[in-house]
Amino acid sequence: MAWGEDHELVAKVVSTQDTQAFGELIRRHQSHVRNFLRKLTGDFNAADDLAQDCFMRAWDKLHTYSGSGSFIGWLLKVAYTTFLQSKRKSKRYAEILEQVGHVSVVESRTHTLQADEVTDLDKFLAVLSEEERAIMVMSYACGLSHREISDATSMPVGSVKSVIFRGKEKIRTSFDIKDHQHG
Amino acid sequence: MISKIINMAERMKDEQDRLLESMFESSPIADNGFSRSIVRRIRRKLWIRRLILPAAVLLGGLVAYQPLAALIKTLYPLLQNITGDFLPSISGSLPSLQLIVTGALLLAVALFSLNMIED
Repeated sequence: MAWGEDHELVAKVVSTQDTQAFGELIRRHQSHVRNFLRKLTGDFNAADDLAQDCFMRAWDKLHTYSGSGSFIGWLLKVAYTTFLQSKRKSKRYAEILEQVGHVSVVESRTHTLQADEVTDLDKFLAVLSEEERAIMVMSYACGLSHREISDATSMPVGSVKSVIFRGKEKIRTSFDIKDHQHG
Repeated sequence: MISKIINMAERMKDEQDRLLESMFESSPIADNGFSRSIVRRIRRKLWIRRLILPAAVLLGGLVAYQPLAALIKTLYPLLQNITGDFLPSISGSLPSLQLIVTGALLLAVALFSLNMIED
């Protein structure tokens, strides 16, 4: 079956609750969303669970997509919100466990990468704060414009630009990147 | 025009931007049933949502049947007196108490079922 543009599919899903059309939207964008969350969490399994939650939430909130920006921009906003909420939830859970004295039980969802698994990108991401990481990934991995990132993170465009600048500076200084080289 | 200029400015990337882009680049992830499993979850959710309301009406009807029947039983003689006073011809043809309650419940269930089918 030949499907139309994202906007047409969204309209179809909103008006008729067509699950097949929504399935097509997932097929088109799952790779971007999963890659985004994998880079953010550093944990493939946790990222895929979050991606599932993200699409479930997208199904419920699809009527709020105005169509003014790209659909992937809107979807990454949902993914980022899902990630932040899950982070808050696990933090609360950790606090409760800590209060009742189960400190050792608290286990981070992000697994520690083995030495041979660590790529240059992982090293780059490690020096960035969570917010910087999200914005840098949106910009450099997903190709979103500053405006789209601003929409996705609810930050002013100027702040987005300064976060990207700060992130680049951190990477530059941490890895001594001069001119065209890194390492 | 302004947005075009902004977009052009954004496109003017330096070497570090290009380097970062190549570093952040990742190979596409195969779907491998990912989308299908979400669609399945959504369909299940839709069915549950559609079934909850009629089920709640049915359950509520069953729970409310006895008190409702008692109430109508109390009001029934009064209703017969009123209709007998004003319209003597139809007082004899009033439906029985159980018929009224069952009819009301059936009507409610039918309306919700219709609503569910329309969805």
